[in-house]
Amino acid sequence: MSGFRTSAPPAGPPRTFHFPNVTRRTLSNGLRVLVAERRTAPLVSMRTLIRSGADRDPADVAGVAGLLADLLDEGAGERDAIRLAEDIGLLGGALGTGADWDAAYASIDVLSRNAEPSASILADVSFRATLPQDGFDRVRRERLTEILQQRDEPAAIAGKRFASLLYGRGVYGNSVIGTAESVSRINIDHVRRYYADHYLPNNSSVVLAGDVVTDDALRVLESAFAEWKRGPEPPMPAIEPAPFDSSRVYIIDRPHAVQSEIRIGHIGVPRACEDYFPLSVMNALLGGVFNSRINLNLRERHGYTYGARSAFSFRRLAGPFVVAAPVRNEVTRESVTEILGELRRIRTGDVEDGELNDTKNYLMGVFPATVQSAGDIAGRLLDMELYGLPEDYFDRYRENIRAVGREDIARVAEKYLDPDRVLIVIVGSAAQIREPLGTLGLPLHELDLEGQPIA
Amino acid sequence: MLSIEDYRLDNGLRVVLNEDHSAPLVAINVWYHVGSKNERPGRTGFAHLFEHMLFSGSKHVGNNEHFRYVQSVGGVLNGTTFFDRTNYFETLPSNYLALGLWLESDRMGFFLPALTQEKLDIQREVVKEERRQRYDNVPYGTAFERLLHLAYDPDYSYHWPTIGSMEDLGAASLDDVREFFQTWYRPDNAVLTIAGDFSPKEAKELVQRYFGEIAPGGGFPPFTLQRKPLENERRERFTDRVQLPRLYRLYHLPKMGERDWIHADLLTTILASDKASRLDRALVHEQQIAQDVAAYVLPTESTGILLMQATAKEGIDIEQLETAIDEEIARLVSGGVTDDEMTRAKNRAEVEFAHQIENYDTRADLIGMFATYFGDPALVHRWLEPYKGATAAGLRDVAARYLVPSNRATSVFRPQTEAA
Repeated sequence: MSGFRTSAPPAGPPRTFHFPNVTRRTLSNGLRVLVAERRTAPLVSMRTLIRSGADRDPADVAGVAGLLADLLDEGAGERDAIRLAEDIGLLGGALGTGADWDAAYASIDVLSRNAEPSASILADVSFRATLPQDGFDRVRRERLTEILQQRDEPAAIAGKRFASLLYGRGVYGNSVIGTAESVSRINIDHVRRYYADHYLPNNSSVVLAGDVVTDDALRVLESAFAEWKRGPEPPMPAIEPAPFDSSRVYIIDRPHAVQSEIRIGHIGVPRACEDYFPLSVMNALLGGVFNSRINLNLRERHGYTYGARSAFSFRRLAGPFVVAAPVRNEVTRESVTEILGELRRIRTGDVEDGELNDTKNYLMGVFPATVQSAGDIAGRLLDMELYGLPEDYFDRYRENIRAVGREDIARVAEKYLDPDRVLIVIVGSAAQIREPLGTLGLPLHELDLEGQPIA
Repeated sequence: MLSIEDYRLDNGLRVVLNEDHSAPLVAINVWYHVGSKNERPGRTGFAHLFEHMLFSGSKHVGNNEHFRYVQSVGGVLNGTTFFDRTNYFETLPSNYLALGLWLESDRMGFFLPALTQEKLDIQREVVKEERRQRYDNVPYGTAFERLLHLAYDPDYSYHWPTIGSMEDLGAASLDDVREFFQTWYRPDNAVLTIAGDFSPKEAKELVQRYFGEIAPGGGFPPFTLQRKPLENERRERFTDRVQLPRLYRLYHLPKMGERDWIHADLLTTILASDKASRLDRALVHEQQIAQDVAAYVLPTESTGILLMQATAKEGIDIEQLETAIDEEIARLVSGGVTDDEMTRAKNRAEVEFAHQIENYDTRADLIGMFATYFGDPALVHRWLEPYKGATAAGLRDVAARYLVPSNRATSVFRPQTEAA
């Protein structure tokens, strides 16, 4: 056998990587504008970010922010919904809108030769949306139907029940799209009020990345967004989690399920957490990537699942920490035990240098691969704007990861993971998993698909 | 213009180099010309199970070490299986080109010595969970499988989906794995594409070093597929645990790349893409009888597939949906498509193609496909030409000839609570 094959070849000299230069402007109406050049394809990505999302929904009408985002392309400026779609299509573009917990977005990805007329459409959608009654009626019906359809989707059910058991009825306490009850209560005035209160230039940023000359792009955006009128900054929301003292198990009965959708976790930390980097490394090692402990344990050692993951949802406020795994019915209890075991083990400081270095090298090395396209870069610029990251954030990202040591992993695992006070939600066949789960010795509750206790 | 260098090693491995220094990354992509269509009844799901096995180590790479090697240097990787091919790929920091080539060559040339029953047992369970998660435990999850059963006769191996059946997965033996590997996983049945930041001279030396010593296989087993045209529409209705009725249609087309297939691709944009497309506008926006509607063609080698689906609103029955769809198709056939629709559809094709070229990984995959299906990686320079040259009359003609009941299979999901 040739000697060169018996072990992995060494690396060559590394090439340097720099995040593209970003040019920033603040317009007189308070709108922040960011531009980055990227000339790998004749495309540009432009995005409007509104720094308000479903976290600003009034509690009784949860789902407003999401519904409004869906309504942005139902008419804007002089164009109705069909005309908007036609004109974007003629420019060689795609228009997208959406909202998550932290923000709302409008985006256009388009052939770069048509950047200028596209920016004008993006501006229309951002602050001249017509929000028509007939469009609202249809979009709301579509949303109610979507909520109905989720009754059959185990992952969606698990996510909703986990969120509501953790956060109660307020912010983060369900899903961004709301519930059948809350959406039924939304009327066009709720939507228009949210648009007036939150879609403000001083609560927003516009970014553009791609095949452009920065000065041209700035001129185009400044002109397109100059007339957006500022308003009072919206107040910050707050979460109202329901505290609890010990772990507990909720089975959401889905009688014919052939898998159990498991969610295990508790409240995590906000994006602004000072331990963001050590937490990111710790989670990647624990369950954040394919070769992490939880996935290797459940998938590659036991064959219980196609994939298991852990994640901190880093949001403006403290989002959840959650481990998610769909496993076959017969190994539901075993999977829960293995996951809890991994949470306990990492808190003991049982971390080898090899796995720590592998994990850090992954996070440092993978970054350039995640910012190849204009759309990738636009997305990163939005992250910077949404979470107020420093201007050198992406250039210093690697050194921040490199600085994480073994003792940091144990420290943040101990501080931010709490395996003795976890919420365990399992969507599955209660008849098949009830008894085995009883042997965990934890309080066990059964709910129906709507979250109502089963007598 | 992309730089494409295309050559073969003595053992038959086709190598395509696309040098581009715009990012310090290199994408390595291997297409094996084998997929689920090469399986036989009773052993369905095998090509895909096999794809899982190829991540479980080879002679010089330990179990799970493949993932570890790639991830620990900041690489991303995966593999996928379809009817006609199986692909494996990783994107690495460009100074790890040799590592990627070492890994891919070790599993191409030295997989069998590391094969064990235990690895097979674990991956079989993982694939069964994949099937449960993606097909059996989700609403409409078995739709594609049902449609294929209906649209193709059992002797045409698009009859089953790549995931295969639970029963067949359970029956796969170590000998099956060995035989499959020896038959299909060989340099003369593969295309290696490298895209990104490398020196061609160095890359060629590395490719020769790592892949040059792998022996080609013997002859390939005889393989032909002949699809008999449907004589009439094939239909199936059944009830399942879903909230809303949903319609699935498969229209047969000539294979990918044929002029009619390209016209059909543009046609699906005109039918169902954005709010201004015909079916979206009529069914979702105006009549409001559908929750969603979609139409698209699949990149298949042996024969072409156009899929269409629509979900009925609550209280709307499938017949009403079908009538509305057929009216829109009839309107398109009688009135033709407009110049604006042609422009929008061509623009969309151009933008989607540009997005695929934008990233090294998707670009390498595209080049691998052109080399594998069409024998010509440089097709990446010309792929859009027939799109640009398409005419409204051509699209109308394709709609008239292919979007007819006798050329389709239709599968209807109905909610269980609904009266049968």
